[in-house]
Amino acid sequence: MEKALLTPQEIALARHCLEYARSQGADAVRITLTKSLLNLVGVLNGEVDKTSHALDRSLQLQLFAKGRFGSFSSNRLDKEGLEAFIREALDTVGMLEADSFRSLPAPERLAKDAVTGQELGLYDPACETLTAEARREMALASCYYHSEKSSSRSEATQGVWGIRPPVSETNVFSLPRLIAEEGEYSDSVFDSLTLDSQGLEARHTETSFEIGYESTVEDADGRHYSSYWWDAAPRLEDLQLKGCAQKAYERARDQRNPQSVPSGKYTLILDSECASKVVTPVLSALGGYSLQQKNSFLTGSLGKQLFPQGLTILDVPRTKGDTGCRLFDSEGVATREMPVIENGVVKTYFLNTYISRKMEMEPTIEDATRVKVMPFGGCRTQEEVLQKVKDGILVTGFNGGNSNPATGNFSYGIEGFVIKDGKRLHPVREMLITGNFLTLWNHLEVAADDARPCLSKLVPTLAFSDVDFSA
Amino acid sequence: MIGEKNYYLNIFQVDVPALDKLIGEALSTGGGYADLYFENTTYGSLLLRDGAVTSGGNHIDFGVGVRVLSGEKTGYAYSESTSWEDMLSSARAAAQIACGPTDVSPYGTRNPSRGEPNPHADRYPILQPWRGTPMSTFLPFLQKLEADVRSRDSRIVKVMVNLAFQVSDILMYNSQKELKWDTRPMGSVSLSVVFRQGEVTENKSTSRSFRCGAEMLSEKLAKEMAEDVVKGIDDRFAAKRPKGGRMPVVMGAGASGILLHEAMGHAFEADFNRKGTSIFADKMGKQICPKGIQIIDDGTLEGNRGSLNFDDEGIPGQKTYMVEDGVLTSYLHDRISAAHYGVKPTGNGRRESFRYAPLPRMRSTYMESGGAKAQDLISEVSKGIFVDEFSNGQVQIGEGDFTFYVKSGYLIENGRLTQPVKDINIIGNGPEALSDIRGVADDLSIDPGAWTCGKEQSVPVSCGIPTVLIGQLTVGGE
Repeated sequence: MEKALLTPQEIALARHCLEYARSQGADAVRITLTKSLLNLVGVLNGEVDKTSHALDRSLQLQLFAKGRFGSFSSNRLDKEGLEAFIREALDTVGMLEADSFRSLPAPERLAKDAVTGQELGLYDPACETLTAEARREMALASCYYHSEKSSSRSEATQGVWGIRPPVSETNVFSLPRLIAEEGEYSDSVFDSLTLDSQGLEARHTETSFEIGYESTVEDADGRHYSSYWWDAAPRLEDLQLKGCAQKAYERARDQRNPQSVPSGKYTLILDSECASKVVTPVLSALGGYSLQQKNSFLTGSLGKQLFPQGLTILDVPRTKGDTGCRLFDSEGVATREMPVIENGVVKTYFLNTYISRKMEMEPTIEDATRVKVMPFGGCRTQEEVLQKVKDGILVTGFNGGNSNPATGNFSYGIEGFVIKDGKRLHPVREMLITGNFLTLWNHLEVAADDARPCLSKLVPTLAFSDVDFSA
Repeated sequence: MIGEKNYYLNIFQVDVPALDKLIGEALSTGGGYADLYFENTTYGSLLLRDGAVTSGGNHIDFGVGVRVLSGEKTGYAYSESTSWEDMLSSARAAAQIACGPTDVSPYGTRNPSRGEPNPHADRYPILQPWRGTPMSTFLPFLQKLEADVRSRDSRIVKVMVNLAFQVSDILMYNSQKELKWDTRPMGSVSLSVVFRQGEVTENKSTSRSFRCGAEMLSEKLAKEMAEDVVKGIDDRFAAKRPKGGRMPVVMGAGASGILLHEAMGHAFEADFNRKGTSIFADKMGKQICPKGIQIIDDGTLEGNRGSLNFDDEGIPGQKTYMVEDGVLTSYLHDRISAAHYGVKPTGNGRRESFRYAPLPRMRSTYMESGGAKAQDLISEVSKGIFVDEFSNGQVQIGEGDFTFYVKSGYLIENGRLTQPVKDINIIGNGPEALSDIRGVADDLSIDPGAWTCGKEQSVPVSCGIPTVLIGQLTVGGE
């Protein structure tokens, strides 16, 4: 096992708190101990602009006592202080009203295979040996702006991470002029241990390496256009440092000269970078709290074909080495691969122990972990999607908007491009899409197979017909 | 509320000589300025759901942040304990930003705010402390509010009431030997109701949030919130999406102030201008909207969610005029941007917690009343839209393009409010919308809701506006 953050002393303290809460009158207890370490280097116009070093610890307590329940946390992890905190917490629980639906999960549902925290292969020991200088070099690795210092990066670093100076043939300082370039590199370690009074001990440890750049360009008329690009990976060797700033610059540059488009119905092509915008509300509507509070447009949907035949959305939480995967949820319940929607039929709600008892249904899992929209309509890439639909509007980002969870109606500001004969024609400005999620999904034409692995949800380029655009 | 100095030194178990030593360590690699930000926050919450208060809790957050400035560069680190070794380790980590001596860039003497700020103001006196009052004391308020709401409409199927409160003890010290301290309370009540009429479900919500003690949980507040949440529900059921397009928009007084916050306020924050990314980066001193318009960011309103005795850099809270008579007169500054522009800081250096370095952030942002009557502005519109309830908004700082989600409003036809509308967006460009203001009414209202701004970090803010007519905005519809 690799080195991790939580110390044996901290773990012993968590176990002590569990026993102490029981001794003070708690009938059942769940404790989650978390610790994280973040190092960040920010860059502005080719120079290091900020550095940040953060070490966080937290002990969360969920107490079940005399049919009552309360949730508490503290980052002051001294034994005496925590004992006093637990006594006060139990007093607070005692004054709440009884809730017979509260309980720990059935023991047979708990994860038993999350012992070391590193079973999913999401911990990269490279984080232990990174120096401040290496972080600085990675932050500066792809930026256009060059200071004396940033151009003196070592050959050794270039060799290890494949870093190369940015392309020199692109003159980003002529029109459209690059006027600001901000970047951030960060690496973090997250370590958690969930214990309960039934004997659960489930651990999850992961690292994350991230690079992100935002560029602002100015055109001849003084108008500004900004965009970003980023990448993240659990392992440093998989982080795509190269080209990040270049892509941010190109995305900003490509927004120049936007044109208005008449309002009407168009085919909507959703770039995979932002396509989760239409998946997340569906998952929320299948969430227990929304359903139990009758605030879901998917109330009563279980087992019904409400989505197009052939559409399948999976939850794949146990893929080794894959961003966002977990062996257990916040209750310690073991995750499993399962269909959320299969051939258009709603196959599951997300019900934790509490909500399932309230709804008198079988519990499932608290939430979707690693959602994957399966290919639909015969295209693999965005290019193939554009060739298939020919005309429409490619949406590459959202600007504000919201949806109504009870009705499923939505309205979002968008940015993107007019597509004609499968090619980008020009950017659009001040446009909105409006509709209803169920109607939208039933106009699904294509789901490609190009989801970015760094995103928390694996949602590829999507295309929907007859979507209302306002301009 | 401001207590005695020793109260804060004792909480964090430090004294001034120790603070000086830490500052010395933070500047040991050549930084030009350093500051320390100690925080001890207690959170409490109670949730009423399905007719009973069955969920609640307390949370403690404690620590110290160390910031080192080397020119305009920032080194930041924090510790969750105030043991000497942990604080020293954070100071050394923050010090890494500097790699040689740097000059301190003192900010200028020009004061963008009107008058000198009051460093002794107590803008949030606490009559009934949240800390030390048993949480059982708060239960009757939640139960009474729920009962009041349910008694008002037979279509109600679910009521959820959430009470959240926090009290933060803050101690700040810097390399200029300025020691400041403060205790900041915040109480927030949010009410969410689901209605069902036939087969149609609708939800409505409202919230109140103030910097004050538990005295806010009054019968008056419960009645006001209950009235608010059921008001307009018939129109909500009757509401439709209008036909979209470009049209005049009348922004109702109060919550429409989110337009100012998102579309203008962010672009006035000096960090975006210092970096050249804001659409207003070269507009200082220029006419950006019609004469007679004043736009303000204010940290001095008593009990307001955005108010501060001191900002998170120890600068006294103050009232800043960003636009005077239609002319851009000031950005919103923290110490870094104030030094960059050669002006005094405006008290806008804010942070989510000790875990974050401060940034220029808004407080309570609003437009002053004008001379028109709201009804007259509506009467001027032959075909347009009136909006009065928003859920959120977003702006692209570089382009100035904004989008707001409208939860409710009305069509305006021939100068009269007609068909209720809902679930639409309005979209526009900040500078264009500002210059296209056709009229400002005399009914400024600061919205009392629990607004939170999420620029990199979450901080409490408020917003307000009088009724305003804008010539043309894009409305998203069918």
